[in-house]
Amino acid sequence: METALRPLVPAPSALLTALPALLAATLALLATPNIARADLQVVATLPDLAAIAREIGGEHVTVTALAPPSQDPHYVDPRPNLILPLNRADLLVVNGLELEVGWLPPLQVAARNGRIQTGGEGYFDASAVVRRLGVPQSKVDRAMGDIHPGGNPHFLLDPRAARQIAAALANRMVKLDPSNSAAYRANASAFDEALATFARAQQARFAALSAEQRRVVAYHASLVYLFDWLGLIEAETVEPRPGIAPTPAHVARVLSLMKQQGIRVVVQEAYYPQKTSQTLTRLVGGRVVVLPGGTPDGKRYLQHLQGIADALHAALTQ
Amino acid sequence: MRRLSLIAIAPLALAAALPASAAVPAEPPAEAPAEPPAAPPAADAPPPIELTREELEALEAGLNADAAARPPVDDTPPAPHAHGGPVGNSNPDISLILDTALAVFDGPPRQTGAHDPQATGFALQQLEMHIAANADPYFRLEANLVFAEFGVEVEEAYGTTLAMPADLQLRAGQFLTRFGRINASHPHAWSFVDQPLVNGKFFGGEGSRGLGAELSWLAALPWYVELVGSATHASGACCARSFFGADDLGIESPGDLLYTAALKQFFALSNEWSLAWGLSSQHGPNASGNGNRSEIYGTDLFIHYRPAGNADRACVSLQVEALYRTRQVPGGRLEDFGGYGQLVWTIDPNWELGARYEYVAGIDDDPLDPDWGDDRQRTTLQATFYPSHFSRLRLQGSRAAGDETTWAGMLALELLIGAHGAHSF
Repeated sequence: METALRPLVPAPSALLTALPALLAATLALLATPNIARADLQVVATLPDLAAIAREIGGEHVTVTALAPPSQDPHYVDPRPNLILPLNRADLLVVNGLELEVGWLPPLQVAARNGRIQTGGEGYFDASAVVRRLGVPQSKVDRAMGDIHPGGNPHFLLDPRAARQIAAALANRMVKLDPSNSAAYRANASAFDEALATFARAQQARFAALSAEQRRVVAYHASLVYLFDWLGLIEAETVEPRPGIAPTPAHVARVLSLMKQQGIRVVVQEAYYPQKTSQTLTRLVGGRVVVLPGGTPDGKRYLQHLQGIADALHAALTQ
Repeated sequence: MRRLSLIAIAPLALAAALPASAAVPAEPPAEAPAEPPAAPPAADAPPPIELTREELEALEAGLNADAAARPPVDDTPPAPHAHGGPVGNSNPDISLILDTALAVFDGPPRQTGAHDPQATGFALQQLEMHIAANADPYFRLEANLVFAEFGVEVEEAYGTTLAMPADLQLRAGQFLTRFGRINASHPHAWSFVDQPLVNGKFFGGEGSRGLGAELSWLAALPWYVELVGSATHASGACCARSFFGADDLGIESPGDLLYTAALKQFFALSNEWSLAWGLSSQHGPNASGNGNRSEIYGTDLFIHYRPAGNADRACVSLQVEALYRTRQVPGGRLEDFGGYGQLVWTIDPNWELGARYEYVAGIDDDPLDPDWGDDRQRTTLQATFYPSHFSRLRLQGSRAAGDETTWAGMLALELLIGAHGAHSF
């Protein structure tokens, strides 16, 4: 070590700064065991995207999710440790439609990884392959709230969108790692079938409910794809405009609407505040359905959606 | 009826499938799915052959009539958005940030930041225009143009490499050096209306900044370790005042440049706790002649706590920076130090509270700061209200004590429009 250091010395002060790092590097190299490398290193921004990537990649990929299910995907802390998996990634899977615009770009640049830069072969934007809802038909102004100019980005709660993503993602994995193409294709086709069966079964289950029962209030305008899939009707949102905190006047309007139309269910993700929703449902004798913010660790994507469908169905038929 | 509905959804399905087929030329989805949105790529869509020409014409007439009756945009399939739509055009991200303040001082204001309110009355702290985009797969360009009352300043304009080998990254142009934590950030990202006193005293009103190049390396370690080194011009009263400062003595050898080195480490202690620790140093010539040199050393610590599952996005952060400076001057050596510590509590998306304590030592007859013979302390409290993510109103009170004591009150408004890039942690 000493002999290796001597010719490197640039200036005593710079060395002083660099010394802890060199020490740390030496220690770490000694301490870290050789981690078996999967064929494809995949990083997904959101837990649902990670779960979908795992279904397709199976044992041939290592998948890391950047955002935990507990954090609102609009506001994820861009902690520098997230740069490390990005630095090693062969494939970065993003939701797109500016959902991650508040935290992902600096991490992507700091990753120093040309493969996963926007437009690169290792950059996969899921929003480019799904049918979009909520595409603004007029000029978007921030006074309208947090409107995504390309359309509503919360499509991961719809298994039909997941089918589209899975099919395209499988093709991308095949392109990046042709040696495992048979496995990727087989996994994708099995996953597609499971998603299709599940999607149809749940549609039929919810279609059996009356139109009255299918009316719900959402907290944030993030559930339009879920409602579209299950045939639910979003009567109102608790937020007056996307991303703007509920105001008393608006909440009063929502309450009278719920009473008028007999709506008993408010649906929201766990990462949004729940007090207003609880108050509303208490006043109408209903229930808040709190959805996990993404596929929890250790669960599979379909289990996650099944849980959501069951919770919704139970609340709507109570 | 069934055929009709198939026709009606065809344009939608086609548009939805287009990007998929563009990104994935090889393979159609495994099986033609039952739901309309999951239709196979356009190329493989079977033409609706059962329809006669008359039927098609009748349909078209009907559709046209409907289109005339409604605003035409309603029928537009998302084709224009196939490549990201309005967000996906090739314009760079452009944003404009206005920082304006009302300040009251009850004694001589001894602020050191160029963007600080400097006197009792209204102040235009800055109007910052941020423009950024990738130039190509290899470079990204970022520019911060600051409009003040009396002109425009290129605060930063630099290129960053995106795909250099060996985990290296190069920045070149005019940039804020990465000394410590707060120096490389902009007023928009600060937790207080004004800049820490020590930054203004050691680096200059605009912080440590200059024309030059920077090379950084991300170490392949289990935790985040980054080594940064840059060479920049040592001149400028605004941004290298401990070095050549206002006297630009030119560059005759590599020793006439200002060198900055930094080591950044980050430890994700848990899902909730984060710790960042940095060491920085600067070395360069100063203007006192005889090849005299100045050096600045600093360390910075940042501890962040964000409870998981808190729907209000509450968090608490502690940030501390300490700096030591030594300058060779005719007949000796001047040494001084300073620092600050700040605690910021984000209560929810709308409210934030902060407290900051600063200490900066003085030197009698310092040629650079002849009036700064006293040791100064400043204590600041702030409360901030964010009506939305794009506006904030900050009320701040401070007491600065040294030979004289000055109370200051500030009310600052910030507004942001346009597409502004995300901030680093």
